[in-house]
Amino acid sequence: MVEKEESVISEEEAAQYDRQIRLWGLDAQKRLRGSRVLLVGMKGLGAEVAKNLILAGVKALTMLDHEQITEEVTRSQFLIPVDSSEKNRAHASLERAQYLNPMVEVKADNENVENKSDDFFLQFDAVCLTCCSRDLMIKIDQLCHKHQIKFFAGDVFGYHGFTFADLGVEHEFVEEKPKMVKPSQEISDGPEAKKPKIDPNETMMVKKVLISSFCQLKDALENLLKRTPNDYFLLQVLLKFRTDKGRDPLPECFPEDSELLLQIRNDVLDSQGLSSDLLPDDFVSWCFSEMAPVCAVVGGVLGQEIVKALSQRDAPHRNFFFFDGIKGSGVVDCLGVK
Amino acid sequence: MMALVGSLRKELAEAVASSRVLVVGAGGIGCELLKNLVLSGFVHIDVIDLDTIDVSNLNRQFLFQKKHVGKSKAQIAKESVLKFCPKASITAYHDSIMNPDYNVEFFRNFTLVMNALDNRAARNHVNRMCLAADIPLIESGTAGYLGQVTVIKKGVTECYECQPKPTQKTFPGCTIRNTPSEPIHCIVWAKYLFNQLFGEEDADQEVSPDTADPEAAWEPEEAAARAGASNKDGDIKRVSTKDWAKSTGYDTVKLFNKLFKDDIKYLLTMDKLWRKRKAPVPLDWNEVYNIESCDSKAEFTVVGLKDQQILDLKSCAVLFAKSVETLRARLAEKGEKAELVWDKDDPPSMDFVTAAANLRMHIFSMNMKSKFDVKSMAGNIIPAIATTNAVIAGLIVLEALKILSGTVEQCKTVFLNKQPNPRKKLLVPCALDPPNPNCYVCASRPEVTVKMNVNKVLVQTLQDKILKEKFGMVAPDVQIEDGKGTILISSEEGETEGNNRKCLVEFGIRNGSRLQSDDFLQDYTLLVNIVHCEDLEKDIEFEVVGDAPEKAPQKLTEDPEKNIANGSDDGAQPSTSKAQEQDDVLIVDSDEEPSSAVSDINMEDRTQKRKLEQEDDHIRAKRMRVEQPADQDDDIIALD
Repeated sequence: MVEKEESVISEEEAAQYDRQIRLWGLDAQKRLRGSRVLLVGMKGLGAEVAKNLILAGVKALTMLDHEQITEEVTRSQFLIPVDSSEKNRAHASLERAQYLNPMVEVKADNENVENKSDDFFLQFDAVCLTCCSRDLMIKIDQLCHKHQIKFFAGDVFGYHGFTFADLGVEHEFVEEKPKMVKPSQEISDGPEAKKPKIDPNETMMVKKVLISSFCQLKDALENLLKRTPNDYFLLQVLLKFRTDKGRDPLPECFPEDSELLLQIRNDVLDSQGLSSDLLPDDFVSWCFSEMAPVCAVVGGVLGQEIVKALSQRDAPHRNFFFFDGIKGSGVVDCLGVK
Repeated sequence: MMALVGSLRKELAEAVASSRVLVVGAGGIGCELLKNLVLSGFVHIDVIDLDTIDVSNLNRQFLFQKKHVGKSKAQIAKESVLKFCPKASITAYHDSIMNPDYNVEFFRNFTLVMNALDNRAARNHVNRMCLAADIPLIESGTAGYLGQVTVIKKGVTECYECQPKPTQKTFPGCTIRNTPSEPIHCIVWAKYLFNQLFGEEDADQEVSPDTADPEAAWEPEEAAARAGASNKDGDIKRVSTKDWAKSTGYDTVKLFNKLFKDDIKYLLTMDKLWRKRKAPVPLDWNEVYNIESCDSKAEFTVVGLKDQQILDLKSCAVLFAKSVETLRARLAEKGEKAELVWDKDDPPSMDFVTAAANLRMHIFSMNMKSKFDVKSMAGNIIPAIATTNAVIAGLIVLEALKILSGTVEQCKTVFLNKQPNPRKKLLVPCALDPPNPNCYVCASRPEVTVKMNVNKVLVQTLQDKILKEKFGMVAPDVQIEDGKGTILISSEEGETEGNNRKCLVEFGIRNGSRLQSDDFLQDYTLLVNIVHCEDLEKDIEFEVVGDAPEKAPQKLTEDPEKNIANGSDDGAQPSTSKAQEQDDVLIVDSDEEPSSAVSDINMEDRTQKRKLEQEDDHIRAKRMRVEQPADQDDDIIALD
């Protein structure tokens, strides 16, 4: 798990991380410093998550991606220089990613995550998958769950995005709560302390443990009920598309891909005896390509969830986050947890 | 069939590529915003920022690296962006947006303006410029985990100044000078002391005991007598603090004994103050200096940052002496009429305030604070992280796209919470409100009424504290509506200088007078109605009718308001630094209720929300509203 923190933070780190240490505290920062993260998929969302984790000051980040750069990706990914001689997405992102924070060990790996042995994952404290097929995500989540590795997944489809977290059977964290001031203290934060009051200046850390509060991705995705949000159905449709076509919907294939999406929607909803009204036809207009601002929003939320889990500070969101860029709504939903 | 360019419909993609946008600020939000804009296909972008890069920016302002420290933010941001998007056409200005060069014509060049600022003065100013130019403005702010985005369009939505914003916290003089009860009072005192000794002396920043304190008097006449016997405002000496210090050569022992022994002893004679309060305990330099260094302290391993240690009394005294000496030498080096400006990032300045504040805290029986904590409070530091800024900057561009699609009516205010609200929302979109018909900025003929004592208020005060600070003007021109059009204040330098030290009454201004105030650059005219009032509270020079009374300290059980987190750094609280004024965190009300136009929230939910808000008394010193998470079925083990 997380390596034992070195007890001393250097002057350089204290200066650079000052504004975040003032927010989440020194202990949290030390835990981050001891964490190793695997990030799979370096498209728009991956770049955002990489940036956020590197700036936060994790010990090491491995960017794993077997795909080549395409013109579409150079438009939506800010870590890859336009004139890069590297063809692989992870390797092309490496230099600029490292510049973000020299104190983090940033690595690039161009292998296909499907071909990695189980052992490979054991070196990480957290794993975050983007651009992966449904079956692959399920398989890796099972592995992570077994070894108490924090598991995350996320993707962006046009104006929509989602994140998922499986923090395992047990997850411990601390929260800051206001302190009650006792009346009989001699020295307190003022000479007037005659009655108990909630002192806005003093807080205390409260430890919490979440037991069986997360479920595996397999269970979460088999949870088709009528009252789940539209975004969940949309995710199911898009993951099916990805499995069937081996890629996400492409703008240049808009006519045929839209048709296929509508058909998949019918199949998915029909098979559950649900009306196709749950996901009206116009959804196809809004789910092509990765929108940069949506990557930023989803990458920000996902990045912060990973930071929270590694630093064990503050309550994690359970267990899905759905973002709709048209409505501007971002919802946390708990699906599949018994 | 629709054609797509990337994720966008073709028409929108074209509108984006041909637009010209202005980004005001290249800091936390600005860096993220520039990145999102170019990746979304925006080409013509102007970015302006007066600041240079600091090492503490590097945890989130990702366009900058360590080697860029000291350089212009706007310039380096531009260079970094061009590396991954060379086709972007970016113009960078290392300048203040309040510079008159950026007039209404300048603003009219843009399709829309996006603020990425950290202070209210600039926000007010840009608000007015965009109203004057009739250009849509996207306003935003972040603080810690919280953030907010909103859209301002003249005539359609509220402007930034339609709803009154809570003003900066100020403390009464006697709290600072006589009866501090919280560490912040001691810290403010220490900052005042810095200015009195080394910086610009300010009559509002007295540090000596206030003999005119109404609380101190057993009989009302007594206070008046004491006040009469001393200087105005109850100073017990007629010589300025700086002059006195100079006369002793800034002798640290003499200084220490005066501030922490003699002045405290004087306070003790005002015995009524200590009837219900714990009396302060004076310190003597020799006694403190001869304290045996506590050995047991050395046994504690340093777990936290060096700056997070709390010093013992003797170390404080030594630090005080050391920093006074350093600052004295620096002042002497600068010459005869030199003044130093307090800067939280300057170690001796920070050491001085830490030491002086802690000594005072000890005297007044408060737990001492580490330098780390003092710096937060004295420097008004807003904690900041990359992810919050990333989310907000993403939301800004999504609103921009709606504006460019011609669908302003679909624009929203969006709040980012720390935890989901009871309706599971982490991001809460709310409908925009229409303009406030009585807004003193965007109403068709803005008018305001201000109470003051015309026999006491100086023209200078009217200009600086009322028109500039309170009403956000940058360069006011004021005419009295007296039938003669008498010019009271001219924005042209030197023209009305002679009026500054005169009282308003000397110009015939009395109850019912009206002053026409213009800011030419902002294209803004405000009619100020004067109500003469002789019984305003002590320390209060004016009161705007319709505002909540300015009492301090303000505990935040105020009505929930829509406010954009200022997210600023380096401000004073209250302001003691004459350097760039920046203000503190405002409330980000993340539980905002949508206006009645939105139908998807029922009344029960609203009552539930209000209940949660009222129970939410736990307001932290940083004044941020923390969402209470929904209860979870978990084990709770409390530490300590």
